[in-house]
Amino acid sequence: MRRFEGTQMILRLAGDAPIVSNLGPGSDDLWHAGHRDRNFYTYGNMGLCSSLALGMAMATDEQVISLDGDGSLLMNLGTIASIGREQPKNLTVVVWDNEKWGQTGGQTSHTGMGTDLEQVARSCGIARTKTVSDLEDLEAAVSEALATDGPNFIVAKIDEGEYLPVAPVEPEFTLYRFRNTFVEQRQPGH
Amino acid sequence: MNWAEMIVKALKDWDTSLIAYVPDISIHRVTSLIEADPYFRLVAATREEEAIGIAVGSYAAGRNAAVFMQSSGFGNSVNALASLCIPSRTPIPMFVNLRGGPGEFNIAQVAMGQAVRPIMDQLGLVHFTLDDDRNMEKLLDGAMKLCHANRQPLAVCMTQLLHGGKLA
Repeated sequence: MRRFEGTQMILRLAGDAPIVSNLGPGSDDLWHAGHRDRNFYTYGNMGLCSSLALGMAMATDEQVISLDGDGSLLMNLGTIASIGREQPKNLTVVVWDNEKWGQTGGQTSHTGMGTDLEQVARSCGIARTKTVSDLEDLEAAVSEALATDGPNFIVAKIDEGEYLPVAPVEPEFTLYRFRNTFVEQRQPGH
Repeated sequence: MNWAEMIVKALKDWDTSLIAYVPDISIHRVTSLIEADPYFRLVAATREEEAIGIAVGSYAAGRNAAVFMQSSGFGNSVNALASLCIPSRTPIPMFVNLRGGPGEFNIAQVAMGQAVRPIMDQLGLVHFTLDDDRNMEKLLDGAMKLCHANRQPLAVCMTQLLHGGKLA
């Protein structure tokens, strides 16, 4: 399974649900799959994709989807514990797991050496977990996750594909375009 | 009002109801009030950069958020501030227990504590330091206003002279 085709499928299932994507190719794939105001692309904030999604899930009753990566989540495993502690019903984490640090030369990550992120999630008290490796199973898992109370945690094993062109997005525009779908923006200085 | 109650009031006055934090014995005076108050949602993070991520996520989805941490943990949050809050212009008020100053007993707190404000200066972040509670209510209100007007993180550093600190 390729991350881009998985991203396209999740975008179709998501409706208007806010989606946060991991930095680099994860965010580029989301933009190419379908740019929308409810996409929160991340940039340099290593490891914080699912922490952002947790904060969003605590600010809105809407379903929130995190499209994280194995390297990113390994940098911030504590946030899995925080998700397990807070038990947000409206949060689904999908981890694109290529078992490597794709952008830095393809070095084998810890998930390629035995670390099982699904088991980490379960041990942190997240009951609804799955590991999938093809598109059909991912579609079933995400559909079920969006229809039932979470938190949900899905590890999607992927093969690394060609990188798509870098998405033409910018952090400040991303944040306020996203936020304005939830609130009318305060006008500073007025 | 004591200093802890003034912080709670400022948060409420600025509609800031999600508080992400890493526990600290001195700011426990404030976070225990927050935890007991149904207005707030207090979220414990495992690490300060995670707290920043949670707070930015909350703000992005329409709920104003603040972060509480100790100065040692500020060191853990620097890249989250520099690569997330600053480029996306996110107003996150940070309340930092500033260790490493007069009265400090722990050598391991000094270097980081002394480096907090120079690092904030290098990042271009506005910060205020409170050694006592004179004018504190006004300062907190003004700090929250400035944080939102500037749409950048802002730090209120609280020293042992204000809160009494951790005793050896």
